Amino acid sequence: MPIGGFVINVDPKRVEESVESLKGFNGVEIHGTDAKGNIVAVLESSTSEEMDEMVKAIMKIETVYSVGLTYFNAEDEVEKQKAQ
Amino acid sequence: MGLSRREFIKRTAALTAASYVGMNLPFSNEESAHAADADTWHKGTCRLCGSGCRLELGVKNGKAVALRGIPESRTNKGYLCMKGMLFYKLMGDNHPERLKKPLYRAKKDQPFKEISWDEALDIAAKEFAKAVKKYGNDSVAYYGSGQALTEETYIFQKVMRGGLQTNNVEGNPRLCMASAVGGYITSFGADEPIGSYTNFERASCFFIIGSNTAEAHPVLFRRIMRRKLDNKDTVKVINADPRVSPTSRIADLHLQFEPGTDLALLNAMAYVILEERLYDEDFITNYAVFRMGKEKKQVDFNQYKAFVKDYSPEKVAKICGGNITPEKIKKAARWFAKSEGTMSIWTMGINQRKRGVWANNLIHNLHILTGQLCKPGADSFSLTGQPNACGGVREGGGLCHILPAHRLVKKDKLRHEVEKLWGIPEGRIPPKPGYHTVAMFEAVNQGKIKAIWINCTSPAQSLPNCDKYRKGMKREDVFMVVTDIFPTKTTELANLILPTAFIFEKTGVYGCTERRSQLTVKAVDAPGEAKPEVWIVREWALRLAKELNDPVIKKCVEPFLGKEPDYALPKAIWDEYTQKLTKGRDNDLRGATYEVLEQLPDGVQWPAPTKEWALKGGTDIKFVRGLDPLADKHAKNDLPYQFYGPAHPDKKLWIWLRPQKGPEEMPDSEYPFYLSTGRIIDHWHTSSMTGRIVELMRANPYAYVEINPKDAEKLGIKPGDMVEVVSRRGRNVLPAKVYVGPCEGMVFVYWHDQDEERMINRVTKDAFDPGSKEPEFKICACRIKKVSGPKPLKPFLVQMKA
Ligand code: SF4
Repeated sequence: MPIGGFVINVDPKRVEESVESLKGFNGVEIHGTDAKGNIVAVLESSTSEEMDEMVKAIMKIETVYSVGLTYFNAEDEVEKQKAQ
Repeated sequence: MGLSRREFIKRTAALTAASYVGMNLPFSNEESAHAADADTWHKGTCRLCGSGCRLELGVKNGKAVALRGIPESRTNKGYLCMKGMLFYKLMGDNHPERLKKPLYRAKKDQPFKEISWDEALDIAAKEFAKAVKKYGNDSVAYYGSGQALTEETYIFQKVMRGGLQTNNVEGNPRLCMASAVGGYITSFGADEPIGSYTNFERASCFFIIGSNTAEAHPVLFRRIMRRKLDNKDTVKVINADPRVSPTSRIADLHLQFEPGTDLALLNAMAYVILEERLYDEDFITNYAVFRMGKEKKQVDFNQYKAFVKDYSPEKVAKICGGNITPEKIKKAARWFAKSEGTMSIWTMGINQRKRGVWANNLIHNLHILTGQLCKPGADSFSLTGQPNACGGVREGGGLCHILPAHRLVKKDKLRHEVEKLWGIPEGRIPPKPGYHTVAMFEAVNQGKIKAIWINCTSPAQSLPNCDKYRKGMKREDVFMVVTDIFPTKTTELANLILPTAFIFEKTGVYGCTERRSQLTVKAVDAPGEAKPEVWIVREWALRLAKELNDPVIKKCVEPFLGKEPDYALPKAIWDEYTQKLTKGRDNDLRGATYEVLEQLPDGVQWPAPTKEWALKGGTDIKFVRGLDPLADKHAKNDLPYQFYGPAHPDKKLWIWLRPQKGPEEMPDSEYPFYLSTGRIIDHWHTSSMTGRIVELMRANPYAYVEINPKDAEKLGIKPGDMVEVVSRRGRNVLPAKVYVGPCEGMVFVYWHDQDEERMINRVTKDAFDPGSKEPEFKICACRIKKVSGPKPLKPFLVQMKA
């Protein structure tokens, strides 16, 4: 179950609206926002493929300019792959 | 503490992200019972584009399990893109398809069988020696990569040149940035950009031409975007491209011109700059001269003015077509000239052209005319596509005409200098440059090259008009060794496949676009019997010395004998290269020892002649006194800028008179469309790596042909229909994406797909720039036709047949 720490850049004038859109996703936790349009979010998914899809979907939100990854952990997925 | 391990990791993720933007969160992880999320963390560089992003790899029980950016890194400020996030999946035992054993077949129609390293190295040495004895030194060749470590390129070219006495040393950077090299040398007298990524945060105008930065260099684009968003009204972004791409999203002005008309556009911007007296007279007087033609004849300002007179915005708007109007050209020129600091950015749209060097010159012209150089935010900055095209190939001597540290093969003095530094007899390195890439594979076609070593790249897919060159690679009388980590279109044509270690499974340096060398030290074991290339070359050279009974070949690897391959061996190679070969050259890297590099979050920008200077990160802006130690050392007068580049004896910047020239092949009644190719964010190059990361492959399982809706309507093509793309050279059948991306009359195809029906380099043209010898991948003529409605398609990757 991968976990990622992201800084999502959105239109600074439309932060609240962006947070609302992000809340519509399962597995997205919002930890904070600022006036420059930075949103600190943690994404959690069952596979890293799902995480990739989530990031793609977030990038499609009209107010979102970029999704920047800062931290990624997939230890249990690697263990599982190893076991197979 | 009731915190579960999962909660702990989530908190770590949140805290890491928050620290990037200076946000305080109401919790910390300090007193957590879960000591660490990984056993060890290892600094290194992402391998999946040219940005040079720095990250730490988390290793647990010997496996790569986590990644985090390095916020102090000056290349990426810690941010990573999705490719960077997922590439650990290719490491160590994480991927089942990695090549793990040497494989051999005497004939190319036989199946491969596993052999030992001893046998493999013997075969490689015998075949190369046989070719040399029977057909001469130039019957063997090395074709390398901008993805190889600097230590690897350096030792390969040393053995080829000093040992086997041939300059048949080439590499795939010829296909991506040779025109940028030509441009920097002819305009500024020295290769590689003057400034750094730091200009992203200082520029007030971005001129992005021929680059889809948002998809090709996503983390660098993030910095440009941040700059724009934080200064919405004062920072301008101009995007000039025949195709609207995700990069255009933040543009204030989009200049959409017809393919191949950009030389006119750039000259028209110069016209406006002269006409409206927006040029910097002092800068031109102090630092520049005007030149024209093959003889580099010097002309005066008035002659330049007369030349540019031919490119009025009114006339050029008609040449450019697309959405170009005289007003748009004037606006772009004014923003460019008047901003506090203008930064131009380009990649393959400019370089992969019949007149790529000229296009580079014309961008530099605008910077020289307006004095938009050397000051904060002002730079003429070409981005590289591969992580080590600059450091390894441009600087390490990885092309047929250059020796290490920016020395030209044809200059006797420089060649003899290298022979002396290597301790080999004078005259050992031949004076004639070897074959450039297209000529090299043409020589393979003609059977002139009998043994070729292809390292870490897949020319069978990446060469333009590739069917033509695959014929040569299939020849039974051409012995082909391929070193790689996965099967590719090129391993399919090999006699001998040698499995190599991936990044983080070996130690070495990558030098990214901004002249910065960054070290990655081994963190996990390579799978199976895969080996670092430096070990492979050393062992091969020792055998070659025996086969050819030539002690000088052994001499080439003597300083490296007995060193263990994971750290001591690459370190010894790096030491020789930096301490001996770069000493006194413009890319002086003597300060950038492994010891220094290991202390830094990122790396060192040359020139960095001393450790003290290197520990500060090196030189941020070249040619500026007080900022560049060599500008002080070579100073000829009291002026603040000293353009000491080795290629310009007059120590001046050269403004070139370069006319508009179209592509080699223009659309006509038979082939009425322009075809251009490029990348999509998830995939990189021939997708031999990104295609094997399930997440990336599923997101984009195959290539598309992008068609402008107006053309699609005329031809009755709907989204998803199967469309045939045919040129004079070959044919593809791909699903259509109907989209206001390419301009009318132009189609665009992604080039990563390995499926024979969707491999677009079977269709592209192998015309090349007469100066840089870089092929014109970006423009040729084709026709398109719907062949059927949508069809279910399967992704395809070459697999190793047992
Ligand atoms: S931008 Fe390039 S170097 Fe940076 S993480 Fe993405 S692929 Fe890697």
